[in-house]
Amino acid sequence: MNTLSLITFIPLLGAIIVLFLPKDRVRAIQTTAIAAASVSFILSVALFFFFDRATPGMQFVEHADWIPSMGISYFLGVDGLSYPLLVLTTLMTLVGLIGSLGVKNRVKEYFFWFLLLDVGMLGVFEALDLVLFYVFWELCLVPMYFLIGIWGGPKKEYAAIKFFLYTLAGSVFMLLAILAVYFNSTPHTFDILALMKAHSAWSLRFQILVFLGFYLAFAIKVPAFPFHTWLPLAHVEAPTAVSVILAAVLLKMGVYGILRISYGMLPLAFHWFLPYLVVIAVVNIVYGSLCAMAQTDMKKMVAYSSVNHMGYCLLGIAGLSATGFSGAVFQMIAHGIITGALFLLVGVIYDRAHTRDIAAFGGLAAKVPVYGAFMFLLCFASLGLPGLAGFVGEFLCFLGAFARWKVYTAVAVLGVLATAAFFLRMLQKVFLGPLNAKWAELPDMTARELISIAPLAALSVIIGVWPGWVLNLMNATILHMTAFVKP
Amino acid sequence: MLEHVYLIALIPLAASLVILFGFKENPRSRAPYLGIAAMLWCFLQSCAVFHRVAASALPLSYEANMEWFRLPVQIAGKAFALPLQLGVLIDGPAALMLCVVTLVSLMVQIYSLGYMHGDPRLRRYYAFLSFFTASMLGLVVSSDLLVTFMCWELVGVSSYLLIGFWFEKPGPAYASKKAFITTKLGDCGLYVALLLLFTKTGTFQISALRESVAHGYLAGAAATAVALGMLLGCIGKSAQWPLFIWLPDAMEGPTPVSALIHAATMVAAGIYLVARTYFIYLASPVALETAAWIGLITAFLAATMAIVAYDIKRVLAFSTISQLGFMMCALGAGGYAAGLFHLTTHAFFKSLLFLGAGSVIHAVHTNDMRRMGGLSKKMPITFVTMVLATLAIAGVPPFAGYFSKELILKAVYQHSPAMFFLLAAAALLTAFYMTRLIMLTFLGAPREEELHQHAHESPASMTGPMMLLASLAVVSGMALAHAGFIERLLPLSAAAPAEELAAREFPEWLGAGVSVLGALSIVLGFLLYRGPAFETAKALKRRFSGLFELLENRYGFDAFFLRLVEAADALSRFCFWFDSQVVDRVFVDGWGLLTLIWAEAAQLVDSRLIDRTVDGFGLLSLDLGGGLRALVRDGQVQEYLMYVAIVVSLFAALLLMR
Amino acid sequence: MTLSSCLLLSGALFLIGIFGALTRRNVIGILMGIELMFNAANLNLAAFNHFLHPGGVAGQCLALFIIAIAAAEVVVGLALVLAINRNADTVYVEEFNLLKG
Repeated sequence: MNTLSLITFIPLLGAIIVLFLPKDRVRAIQTTAIAAASVSFILSVALFFFFDRATPGMQFVEHADWIPSMGISYFLGVDGLSYPLLVLTTLMTLVGLIGSLGVKNRVKEYFFWFLLLDVGMLGVFEALDLVLFYVFWELCLVPMYFLIGIWGGPKKEYAAIKFFLYTLAGSVFMLLAILAVYFNSTPHTFDILALMKAHSAWSLRFQILVFLGFYLAFAIKVPAFPFHTWLPLAHVEAPTAVSVILAAVLLKMGVYGILRISYGMLPLAFHWFLPYLVVIAVVNIVYGSLCAMAQTDMKKMVAYSSVNHMGYCLLGIAGLSATGFSGAVFQMIAHGIITGALFLLVGVIYDRAHTRDIAAFGGLAAKVPVYGAFMFLLCFASLGLPGLAGFVGEFLCFLGAFARWKVYTAVAVLGVLATAAFFLRMLQKVFLGPLNAKWAELPDMTARELISIAPLAALSVIIGVWPGWVLNLMNATILHMTAFVKP
Repeated sequence: MLEHVYLIALIPLAASLVILFGFKENPRSRAPYLGIAAMLWCFLQSCAVFHRVAASALPLSYEANMEWFRLPVQIAGKAFALPLQLGVLIDGPAALMLCVVTLVSLMVQIYSLGYMHGDPRLRRYYAFLSFFTASMLGLVVSSDLLVTFMCWELVGVSSYLLIGFWFEKPGPAYASKKAFITTKLGDCGLYVALLLLFTKTGTFQISALRESVAHGYLAGAAATAVALGMLLGCIGKSAQWPLFIWLPDAMEGPTPVSALIHAATMVAAGIYLVARTYFIYLASPVALETAAWIGLITAFLAATMAIVAYDIKRVLAFSTISQLGFMMCALGAGGYAAGLFHLTTHAFFKSLLFLGAGSVIHAVHTNDMRRMGGLSKKMPITFVTMVLATLAIAGVPPFAGYFSKELILKAVYQHSPAMFFLLAAAALLTAFYMTRLIMLTFLGAPREEELHQHAHESPASMTGPMMLLASLAVVSGMALAHAGFIERLLPLSAAAPAEELAAREFPEWLGAGVSVLGALSIVLGFLLYRGPAFETAKALKRRFSGLFELLENRYGFDAFFLRLVEAADALSRFCFWFDSQVVDRVFVDGWGLLTLIWAEAAQLVDSRLIDRTVDGFGLLSLDLGGGLRALVRDGQVQEYLMYVAIVVSLFAALLLMR
Repeated sequence: MTLSSCLLLSGALFLIGIFGALTRRNVIGILMGIELMFNAANLNLAAFNHFLHPGGVAGQCLALFIIAIAAAEVVVGLALVLAINRNADTVYVEEFNLLKG
């Protein structure tokens, strides 16, 4: 069974079909795209029942020679680390496509690029060969560039260029690092699993150099301070569904890369980098939430909250413990669902009011109760209210980091307070207080918006109440990964 | 029956979900009856549980757990998936608390039928109330500190939703946020404490923690840090000094909500948590002492602030803060049973006071006591129940407050006589400001005729719960203190510093003296606030205007926290400026600019140096050609031929000369 | 008869040819001067062949080639002269300055 290939390339098939459809048959294009994403999603969920939760290793492996003369192979597989992210990707793509049904301008190209983006993201989480990984990694870049640059806001070109150049700059260093490990392994190989066993022959100096190469690429993607400034810009300019994908999946590629490649292949350098990583994590958390507090644009605020939330992931990783790693992965899932939904919600209000200025609203809770309820639920989930998904990830990250970094973690807890402050302030200004007469005719959410947001809201509750469903998937892998870590 | 005790928390949760999703928003919705029925069932169950626990000779501690999720951990060098438990732990305090919470919630829900009558969002109100009760009950019964913390936060969020229930008004919207953020500030301490606790012991299970502490795995500085962190959380939740600022503002919520959340249950959660983890505090004398002092300071400061407030609900809010200070102080001083006892009696009479205040507000539509007066004839039931509650809170024997306060004072005296005197002063202030409240509201002549004219007694749905609570305010102290029952119900764990408790004998005359002074302060309040215009009090106020202002400004704590918020805002603006101007402009765009400059330089070299050189060769040959052409410009073939001949012969000459 | 006398003769012929080519105003005269230079070269070739490689034929062959080429050259040259004469009605070279750039 080539299930993983099917999951990955059915969107590509969809993209090609979309390409051959006449551009004025909008309905057919939308149906094709959603059908392709749905099949991919259903297949990835089906794996849930076949996924062996007790095995730490790779499952559903596919291996075929690609360029044998250079030892490059087509090598796919998922384990407890990547499988949850795979499902997250297929889910968020589907949700994003449903959220994109309102796109009116150049529909055909939009859905084509969107599906192509999906292929790239799925591949990144499945690839077990560095060249394949790199190809998929870069594949995400181009569609994103066009999606922001064509369908974006007023400063879309600037944002798209900045995003593109910034991430490309990181990728270049990653390519260097990939070549470095290739030429320093015997026999020369790009196989990630083989390289994970090869690192014992590498000196610390070499590992650090390679690590920095990879880290630059991943840190820009995460985004880790000080490489985060493309994110608010890209989020503000990108169309709603693209923001969703950007926050929910693209950022996760960075954290996934750190866990899979930086930690797996370069443990010595990883240890060397830990003291810096924890500082970066704390800066991300505290500084990100403070920046979010200063925002007047709802979307930009949510974007900065992503910086803050990815800081939790980094903190969990910096804890270098089983708890911290599982917290980081859980936080990725939780953040993907919650922030994705938040971006959709901000898009809903923007579609109606054509503004995202927090001060422009007031008292909306009385006018749009369903919308208000979703916004409250997801803001609380994002600020880490227990019983919702955000809390579990955040708490596990803190718990995992605390044993190693007591003071840093305690400082980071203040970031939680700041997060609560800016979300509540936004809620108060937008939804509470006297109704701003300007919005007296504001309609509540439509069925399409409900279909895209309600499942995410439900998931954030379900995972928050019963985190075992996600944690069970990754426990074996993460325990195996950290088996030899000294506390 | 104990096997299904978890249902006590889950039934209200289910009720809340059913109300929220199963009913339509409608002022005449049937939803309240579902909430009330669920709560009645819970109350009966709680009574049964209480009976079981009280009937058994020993402090029964029933625990039942189920696996919640497995968490990968490394403990003592071993990596494994640790199961986290979801479970219940029922002991004396929990059983007592269950009864208190379910009873007060039941009363408040019945009361709200009248108070919230005709509100367009009745369904939401009852859903929130049920949700709040569910999370509060979860907090009470949970056997696991992590779950306790989760319920703790959920309680906070329901409080947020209920304070801001009338969100169209700016006041509640602001107050709800303030309450949430302030308690969250305290929760940061609790959060860190939980992290440290888990790092040291590897469990959140209360029973397992008890073992760990008993074996000395958690002792010394670590125990102190954990205890102080938790204390910070309790300070936030129970509105202790210096985080008490949110509670007076929380009075913007509907009055029954104040009765339930901000008098009897949620604010008591902090006290309850300290009691629940008392074994950790016992391992850390520093933390106990801190708790005692914080409670003491709170009790005293809040009592003084209550004296000058004119908003009837704020007086009660300050009173609540003060009483919570009493409990905290008692716990800190080692009076475990005393603190929890006071928590119970206080829950009854304070919720009654709030319900009474609600009844008054319902009648006159104002919170300002200066506009009331003389309501006793119009609202006899409210008046009588309020007076009973006042007597209870003032500590007049044989009402409930007398027994619990007596116990607290005794415990504190045994701990430290100095603290005792300060606390006794706070107790006297309590009697004073409560008398003032009764005087201003019910006695004397009506100050605003129009309001007075329209005032009426509240409907039976409101007075019924008040009467029931009033009876409890009268008898609960006596009943629970009977033959040392409360001490048997709430036994201190084995690690109690027994020798210290026995060290100092509480002199009988001191207790009697406090009672007499209490009576005197009631009389004083009566004298000062007599008459329609309470001239004596006003004169005093003019005389000591500086002091009054200080009290009305709440000692400047609000201003201080406001300043703190402003500072955080300034910091956030600075951060954003730094981010957009320095990090983005300098760091990122700077790189771009550098690349641009480099590109320009390369372009310059390319166009000026390399390209010019190429052009130069072209030009050179052009010039050379031009020069030669000038030499032979007449086009004569023979001339050309001559040049050829000359050159050839020159070459020939050269060849020949070699 | 020695090689040097032959070379002297051919040198003299060449110089006469070049003198004629440089000094005659008539274009026919110039062509004749050029023919003289060709023949000087031919004489050289024949002389070298005869004295240095008596059995060889390469010199004679080359001389024959040159005679053929000279004939062709004269044909072209005279055709040009005729064309110029018809157009410009002159045979004096100083009046032809079409090559002037």
